[in-house]
Amino acid sequence: MVEFLIVVVALAAGLAAGYKAGTLRAGRAGREAAAARAATADYARSVSEFAGAVAPVWSSQIESSRTQMETAIGAVTTEFSQIVDNLDAVLASSSAALEDGHGGGALERGRQRLGSVVHTLDAALTSKREALRDLEALLGLNDDLKQMTAEVAQIAAQTNLLALNASIEAARAGEAGAGFGIVALEVRQLAERSFQTSERMARRVEGIAGAIASALSKAEGDAEREGVAVTRANSEVSEVLDDLGAVLAGLRDSSDQLERAAVGIRSGVAGAIVNLQFQDRIGQVLEHLRENIDRMPVVVAEDRSLNAQRLLDELAATYTMHQEREAHLTGAKTAAVPESEITFF
Amino acid sequence: MSKTILIVDDSASVRQVVTIALRGAGYEVVAATDGKDALKQLDGRRIHLIISDVNMPNMDGITLVGEVKKLPSYRFTPIIMLTTESQEDKKRQAQAAGAKAWVTKPFQPDQMLAAVSKLVMP
Repeated sequence: MVEFLIVVVALAAGLAAGYKAGTLRAGRAGREAAAARAATADYARSVSEFAGAVAPVWSSQIESSRTQMETAIGAVTTEFSQIVDNLDAVLASSSAALEDGHGGGALERGRQRLGSVVHTLDAALTSKREALRDLEALLGLNDDLKQMTAEVAQIAAQTNLLALNASIEAARAGEAGAGFGIVALEVRQLAERSFQTSERMARRVEGIAGAIASALSKAEGDAEREGVAVTRANSEVSEVLDDLGAVLAGLRDSSDQLERAAVGIRSGVAGAIVNLQFQDRIGQVLEHLRENIDRMPVVVAEDRSLNAQRLLDELAATYTMHQEREAHLTGAKTAAVPESEITFF
Repeated sequence: MSKTILIVDDSASVRQVVTIALRGAGYEVVAATDGKDALKQLDGRRIHLIISDVNMPNMDGITLVGEVKKLPSYRFTPIIMLTTESQEDKKRQAQAAGAKAWVTKPFQPDQMLAAVSKLVMP
């Protein structure tokens, strides 16, 4: 019995002790839970404060970089545009200068026109030579006149001799030949005048022959010099045109080189046009990222936790490019620039 | 007389590279920064073709297409969408609004010129 009582007392004491211990444990757990909640709240607050503090800085840095990049690429593109405009102007100028068969047309026209001038000079010289030949023929006619004048003088002399004989015969006839003697005298006087006239004619013909010979000599000298001058002009025109042709050939070579270079430059321009569009793509990526960072403090404050998925979902919703989605899903740090696609509706 | 093309994009570099590509082929180019600016540019001008971005501030490209189609003078003016947008539903929206072609960035100048010459009557 006593043993039984001892056991009962012992059990009662044990229960009492257990109850007290349980009560103590429950109080400690409550305090620990409250402390944990307070710690969580503190952590959430600190995270919110952290997000509120860093997000604007990250955002402004991204926006600053994006703006700087846009400004710089805009300036580069403007300068590039001016370079392309200048290149086009140079090419247009070169083409205009050498158009019409790379300037060969202008050279050929010049050759034809100058050739025409030389031909005109040649024709004038030929005409002059023909005139000289006419003058030489005139000199021959003058010799004929000279001969004829000599013949007239000879006839006058013979007539004079004949009239002299007639006068002698008239004197011998006496009274009956007196009239005939007068006629014979008249004939002699006419013969004398004819002789004098033939002498004047001979002198005049001689003078004309001298003048013609002098003119002919002078004209032949002139024609000789003009012939030399025309030949020289022809030669110099050919040399000048050949020089111009050589210059044009050089310009044509330069133009051809410029054209070949232009083909390469145009290809480079096309590549640069593609590459300069990277700013637009990167700008959009940075803009989407900045908007998401701006949203981070709001999301943290609303959820009172670090809800990464909500932020990531919001970020994904802003994507426009395939590369953005791929980088988001796979974590790929590099993405190939996509080929341009055209769809006609 | 050369044809005049309006390029609408909020990116200055894209506006400039499009201008370089088209001017080199003899087109006149005018530029606008977004849909609203584009509608102002259309007023009192003869524009033969419009090239527009899709995602822009103030007024996006697809809305712009709808607004342009309401203008009697520009009802039949062809519009090319030039965009980084890769979502098919956006492409379908552009088609439904009345766009004639969809070109993705970065564009190749030759391809762009081919698309433009196909849509602009010589």
